Amino acid sequence: MEYLALAIFFSVFVFIIFDLYDKSLVALFGAFLMIVLGILGAEEAVSAIKFEAIFLLLGMMIIVNIASKSGIFQWASVKIAALTKGNPLAIFLFFSILTGLASAFLDNVTTILLIVPLTIELLRGMGKDPKPYLFSEIMFSNIGGDLTLIGDASNIIIGSASGLGFLDFIKNLWIPVLAVGIFTILAFVVFKWKDLKPHSDDLGKLFIANVIIRKIKNKFAKVSLSKSFVIKVVSIIILTILAFLIQEYLGLPNYVIAFIGAILLGILVSKKVHIHEALKSVEWTTLFFFSGLFIMVAGLEKTGLLETLSQAIASSTNNVFYLSLIILWICGIFSMILDNVPFVTVMIPVILGIQTQFPGTDTTVLWWALSMGACLGGNGTLVGGSANVVAAGLAKKDGVHISFLEYLKFGLPITTGMLLISSLYLFLRFA
Amino acid sequence: MENRVERLSQLLRNLEVEIGTSDLANLILMALLDAVIALKVKNSKEFCRQFKELVNDLKNTEPKFGILNYRLDSLVKYFKETVCCQHYEEEQWKKEVVESINKILIKSHQERAKLIHEAEGLNVEHKTILIHDHSHTVHRVLKHFRSMGKHFKVVIAEQDFDKTHSNIESMHSAGIPFQVVPAYMLSHIHKEIDMLFFGGLTLKDTMDFVMDPGTLSLISEFHEEGIPVYMFIDTAKFSLWKSKKRGEIFMHKHLRTHAYQPIEYERVKYSHDRVPAKLFYRLVTNEGIFTPEELEKIFKEKMEKYERGEEID
Repeated sequence: MEYLALAIFFSVFVFIIFDLYDKSLVALFGAFLMIVLGILGAEEAVSAIKFEAIFLLLGMMIIVNIASKSGIFQWASVKIAALTKGNPLAIFLFFSILTGLASAFLDNVTTILLIVPLTIELLRGMGKDPKPYLFSEIMFSNIGGDLTLIGDASNIIIGSASGLGFLDFIKNLWIPVLAVGIFTILAFVVFKWKDLKPHSDDLGKLFIANVIIRKIKNKFAKVSLSKSFVIKVVSIIILTILAFLIQEYLGLPNYVIAFIGAILLGILVSKKVHIHEALKSVEWTTLFFFSGLFIMVAGLEKTGLLETLSQAIASSTNNVFYLSLIILWICGIFSMILDNVPFVTVMIPVILGIQTQFPGTDTTVLWWALSMGACLGGNGTLVGGSANVVAAGLAKKDGVHISFLEYLKFGLPITTGMLLISSLYLFLRFA
Repeated sequence: MENRVERLSQLLRNLEVEIGTSDLANLILMALLDAVIALKVKNSKEFCRQFKELVNDLKNTEPKFGILNYRLDSLVKYFKETVCCQHYEEEQWKKEVVESINKILIKSHQERAKLIHEAEGLNVEHKTILIHDHSHTVHRVLKHFRSMGKHFKVVIAEQDFDKTHSNIESMHSAGIPFQVVPAYMLSHIHKEIDMLFFGGLTLKDTMDFVMDPGTLSLISEFHEEGIPVYMFIDTAKFSLWKSKKRGEIFMHKHLRTHAYQPIEYERVKYSHDRVPAKLFYRLVTNEGIFTPEELEKIFKEKMEKYERGEEID
């Protein structure tokens, strides 16, 4: 049984890596294979699905989908573009920080879909190479995503498994996220200064940049923003985030808060956005992919393989700090080449198993190591995260081809630096 | 990387398609204003050197936009007599430059108002007006008629998705009653149309207007039927130089795939049409309403003036 479960799991992994079929289909097929072959009972499979994670994702997807229809995100990015006044360094800083902040509270892919086309239009029009800017935006979408419980799918899964709240993530991760953000900016400024330096003494460059900014503003001016729609969207987003922050006092689980936000917003803007439309834009394939993964991991868990792995890792050291370093780097390296969600899903029962080996010791640090490894590790390669893949696809559509190696030259050293900073943080905080 | 003239040409062409020639000229001046404000050079001499290079590149773009070139000429002439003939420190020259760009922008708004004022001479009451291109000048004129309380209906000849939608949005926002009919089905409604309104990119010395693609066949069709076709154009848009080639017409070739079958084919599109001025019943400008013959006379006078190096705009 163990070998069969392992064979199914690794076959699914191979299919996902080589992108042979849609990953949701592959994961569901693997899950059903585990049920059909008797590795897992049907009821066990259903109860293995972490519905709290699925519902939290679903709720946030509905909120973001409705919100994006209000035009508020477009408006904000156009305003930011105008604020840069065509200064390349300002474009780099503002867009990177905006991507990071937006990714902390919204879906990474939504943020990338919004920022990348704008960046390419602005930079290419100015005759500049948009790649360093795009690389930074990809990285900031993953860095920002690490800050909150809702910022990245792997954090949502970690949150639902560990019981850690929205505020816990911010309290424990803001320092490494900030440090890694500063490090990334400095790395780009130092190594790509030629592309980023301001051209305030060049009338021609300033002129072209301002023509493009006015062109973008003009294009956006045609989209009429509905004041009441925007107010409702902004209010619900703020209220939802506030509710996440005071979740402990409310006594409500995260997914309930997200769902209340989604339903309230759906009701408030029902005349503008039909709920059919909002539900149509939900990434159902992602939700089914997660469900399939949860079932497969439960199958693996049932065979006792993951428990053996937990024991092996736990027995390698009796120092929780060292364990956290092991998890950070293993997860970071895996996330560079694989989708981080399957890996995090496998690691959840492993970490829960390790925790049982250290009774009476605070092992929360292991979750932060897993989160940092999963989110920051994704920056290493062009296939390390969904934001990376989407950004490369969008760039290609706009005629900017980003090769795997081209990204790797930046991604790998900067990600190594990020993981070193995270290690230092773990050392200073938990050693 | 393409050079600056190519980049500017592409940028200006895209802008012209999106916002029309008049708004393009204003946008360019406003962007120049933003750039001057952000520019950090020590003195006026350095500014003049860079400005000269930029104007040179802008005037070498294809196609040439008369309205933009005359405004740049005005600026060059003014700067030659002020900031570029003596030493100015940063704050002084910036103030001078910003003021002169603003003056041209104000003048452009005044000319626009004059054209709308001239258009008031047309009788549109209870008429059905056909529009096709997404001329912002035509939109402004129709909106003005509407604000004057005139009663008329607009038929939008359907063409490219974006341009048709721009027309629909404009009519809707002004509260003008409208109907959309595909451009290739207009023969069925000849009798319902009282007049046609068009805008143009420029008027060439060959007395051809450069206009949106599709307009030549449509105007010829209604001209043949004896239905009056009006052109609304600012005289600053005239191309007062000898045309050497059909530089303003660009051909776009791209591959398309059949919607249901794996058939790939080449699709060719053209950027503009050339429409002879004689096909128009009247030409409404900021300087008055003219017949094609009268306009030709005015054009020639302006061209001679331009060739003598006198200021046009």
